Amino acid sequence: MKKIALYILLMAFISACTEKVNITLKQNYTRLVVDGSIGNSSSRYQITLTKTADYFYNQPIPRVNNAQVSISDGNAFFQLNETKPGISGIYETDSSFHGVTGKIYTLHITLPEAIGGSSEYIASCKMMDVPKLDSIHVLFHPDYGKDGMWEIKVYAQEPGDEVNYYMFHVYRNDTLLTDSISKVVVTDDKYFNGNYINGLGAVYINNSHYWETLHEGDLITLQMSGITKEYYDFITQVQEAGFNIPFFVGPPANVVGNISSGGIGFFAAYSSSFSSIRIKQ
Amino acid sequence: MKYFIPVLLAMFILLTGFTPVNGPGKRHTISGKVRDKFNGEALIGATVYVNELKTGTATDVYGNYSLTLPSGDYTLFFSFIGFVSEEQKISLLENKTLNIELAPKQETLKEIEVTSERNDRNVTRAEMSTFRMDIKTIEKIPALMGEVDVLKAIQLLPGVQTVSEGTNGFSVRGGAPDQNLILLDDATVYNASHLMGLFSVFNNDAVRDVKLFKGDIPPVYGGRLSSVLDIHMNEGNSKGYEVTGGIGLISSRLTVEGPIKKDKISFIVSGRRTYADLFLGMAKNADLHHNQLYFYDFNAKLNYRIDDNNSLFLSGYFGRDVFKNNFARMNWGNQTSTLRWNHLFTKRLFANFIALYSNYQYFIGTPEGESSSFDWTSNLRDLGMKGDFSYYINTGNTFRFGASVIYHMIYPGKARGTGAETSLNEVSVPENNSVESGIYASNEQKVGSHWILKYGLRLSIFQNIGPGTVYHYNSAYIAQDSSVYRTGIIYNTYAGLEPRLGLLYAINDENSIKASYSRTLQFLQLAQNSTIGTPLDVWFPASPNIKPQNANQFAIGYFRNFRNNKIETSAEGFYKIMNHVVDFKDHADLILNPKLDGELRIGKAWSYGAEFLIRLNEKKLNGWISYTWSRTFRKIAEINNGNPYPAPYDKPHNLAVVANYLISKRFSVSANWVYATGSAVTFPTGRALIGGKIIPIYSDRNAYRFPDYHRLDLSVAFNSKEKPGRRFRWDLDLSVYNVYNRHNTWAINFLQDEQDPDKTYAEKIYLFGIVPSVTFNFHFQ
Repeated sequence: MKKIALYILLMAFISACTEKVNITLKQNYTRLVVDGSIGNSSSRYQITLTKTADYFYNQPIPRVNNAQVSISDGNAFFQLNETKPGISGIYETDSSFHGVTGKIYTLHITLPEAIGGSSEYIASCKMMDVPKLDSIHVLFHPDYGKDGMWEIKVYAQEPGDEVNYYMFHVYRNDTLLTDSISKVVVTDDKYFNGNYINGLGAVYINNSHYWETLHEGDLITLQMSGITKEYYDFITQVQEAGFNIPFFVGPPANVVGNISSGGIGFFAAYSSSFSSIRIKQ
Repeated sequence: MKYFIPVLLAMFILLTGFTPVNGPGKRHTISGKVRDKFNGEALIGATVYVNELKTGTATDVYGNYSLTLPSGDYTLFFSFIGFVSEEQKISLLENKTLNIELAPKQETLKEIEVTSERNDRNVTRAEMSTFRMDIKTIEKIPALMGEVDVLKAIQLLPGVQTVSEGTNGFSVRGGAPDQNLILLDDATVYNASHLMGLFSVFNNDAVRDVKLFKGDIPPVYGGRLSSVLDIHMNEGNSKGYEVTGGIGLISSRLTVEGPIKKDKISFIVSGRRTYADLFLGMAKNADLHHNQLYFYDFNAKLNYRIDDNNSLFLSGYFGRDVFKNNFARMNWGNQTSTLRWNHLFTKRLFANFIALYSNYQYFIGTPEGESSSFDWTSNLRDLGMKGDFSYYINTGNTFRFGASVIYHMIYPGKARGTGAETSLNEVSVPENNSVESGIYASNEQKVGSHWILKYGLRLSIFQNIGPGTVYHYNSAYIAQDSSVYRTGIIYNTYAGLEPRLGLLYAINDENSIKASYSRTLQFLQLAQNSTIGTPLDVWFPASPNIKPQNANQFAIGYFRNFRNNKIETSAEGFYKIMNHVVDFKDHADLILNPKLDGELRIGKAWSYGAEFLIRLNEKKLNGWISYTWSRTFRKIAEINNGNPYPAPYDKPHNLAVVANYLISKRFSVSANWVYATGSAVTFPTGRALIGGKIIPIYSDRNAYRFPDYHRLDLSVAFNSKEKPGRRFRWDLDLSVYNVYNRHNTWAINFLQDEQDPDKTYAEKIYLFGIVPSVTFNFHFQ
């Protein structure tokens, strides 16, 4: 509801003009950036290691190669290998790897040379549970926005025992529509804790955007994941980062991740449930 | 608290000991009211000058004056800017009442012709760091979209910084925007903004005058650290009916006033409504076309002169902003009511007894019938009483004392699902109640012909009243447990003394030096993390976890008038230190959060600066130039690694030039030019790639600045022909905001290029290009 309220305000007041400006910024020291997650089904999960750069660097982000990367669940260690050694900076698990709900996973990184004063980094995340999705429903609202919006409604029982945080991804015919962290939807259960979720809109898809709009016959899949509060906060902060409308957000502040030794980013573990529907006329 | 009564007593002794109450011969009091002959309204700050004794006084905020003089014959001069002075010869052998009505000068020359009247208050009054503006002055300043705005006008004064363009938020001498007490007929206005601050809630047709205290705040006021903006509503013409109105580009106004019983009962009713929604239809963003957005407000005042010793005033304000579209509706606004009884106990003792009510609320809702339908409400209500006494002991001493009690009921918010299909719970932050009370006494004492001393003391008491839940936080600000208090229990009390001192040394008739010290306390603050704030921001009280904020301010100034008071100049320096100021942790969650106090980070702030003002009141040309150099910093242990950082409204250089030139009786031009250093902001210095998005890594807090702000506004006014006996008058105002179309920075966003994701760029948002507007005003009587 808070987000909706802010959205209403945004609609009410932003009709101002914009223009690009040139700004000279000072340099900052380099830090390690960790970006990746693991899930509860067997798959090759990827962790990407990069470095920070000056804000107007404007070239492909520098990758961190030849690192030793592993994940432990408290008992076993799982080795991750760079997909293109010395080039990609992407480290992945075996295809048989899967997490178990309730376990705490720790990512260990050893760099060939120190970045930001450290060559050892760790990050831990608990794999949270997720309610089963009973069904989803897709509804078109022609009067929302300029060209209308598709609403993906959720039907599920929300557990009432604790504060839960959820993340939603949408697939259209097996293509991930929420393909960047900016498009992912996250929510807490503050406003529906313990209720049967009887068709709450989880994701809204803008019909104005040809690359994501939906058509008759499309198979729509919703992925609902249970995430930690820290990951929820992190995604929210990343989504707001750089966006600085003076009346919505406080002073800009760095996003808070879970990487040790001054590293930036997040190593996330979450379990997911899925539900699909085919769009009919 | 235990020192208060002794201090009060000491003040009495000081006062009676030092002043010759029983001088040679008998002393008598002459008192009364000074009013506008034309409409019967009280004149605030009119001068009463005793020619024979070279002394005098000024009317108080309700138009009362009182002078106690030895028996004898005197010539009294009554004068007020823009009014023809009156001379009265009196023979004072007993206590006397003398009510005076001054006639306004010919309309088109109002306040421009300041000839022989004494207008030396800048030099001779003991108050400093204050600025009074009447609405006529404010109306001459070119206004955005033709909407004359009290709160925009005061931002042109020295020591007052605009927090962000187009808003009503202002910072006084480094104080936060929520450290300003805004009073409308003595009732607190908690959110003075319409349309997010583009316009203020004050309709200029309903406002009579505005006084801003930047320091040297009289003890009658309490509850805010940095300033008091005291706004009084028009009382209504008690002689005849008048209709005033205006039609502008975005709003229309209508005011009706007149006597219900001539010279006895008068009323004024003002209304205003915008049609800004029309502009949304023209907006580039087609998403906005279905939206409706407008505000309206009403002001009303009833004024009943029961007899010479008793008057009753009932005034009220009601305003709402409304936003609607297919998806949601939202409204917010203020309401205030004031009942004031003005009573003269004796010729020398006046009192005002005030009952007041104030309410700010907002509502957000979506249409019913969806599982996500909800509504969300919040409100803040004040119920208060004040008693204020002015005792004119003699010409050398004016003693003022009184007390006030305000009961604050804050309902921070309740959101709930609506309709049968709802999946939403009710989420609410519990109501909190508190009582803020104060007692105060002050005296203004003339010592010899060169010195005036002002000394006063206020005792402020703040109490939290149950029901209440107080969370106990650990050092990481995580709530460990809580204490729950029952209804009606006072579970926390803060009390503090606020001394207010002032000194004037008059070098001669044209030069004076003034100094002041004031201590102020603040118990209510705004949960506003951003520079502008939204209508959803809630006020929250001091509590066991939140200590009251306090400020100590020292100021010294030199005041000089030239050319028979036609040119007033002043230079003031100040230093202010504020303790327990409130800031918020990074990524704070301030909305519907019952553990709001866990998001706060407390520290101190300080500011210092120098303010210069030249005010010109020539026959054809009037206006002022104000220049301020000031710095404001904050230091909070958990913010910016504990290092001091500039406040967002730290703008070292600030210049305003305001001028009005009368070309002919029917034609005048006005201009203002403002310049200010760009706001202190935090910019990214690095980037990181996360989930396909480039995110910024930021500099130290407020380590960068926006480009400097400057802007020129112009307006021209044509008046209808002046003819004796003419009952209909009109004027047409053309104004241009931002004449040279500077795209002043309102915000800078750092964004990722959609085509080339490796590229980032900075994008400036500016609110206004050049904005011309036209307003037609009319007046019928």
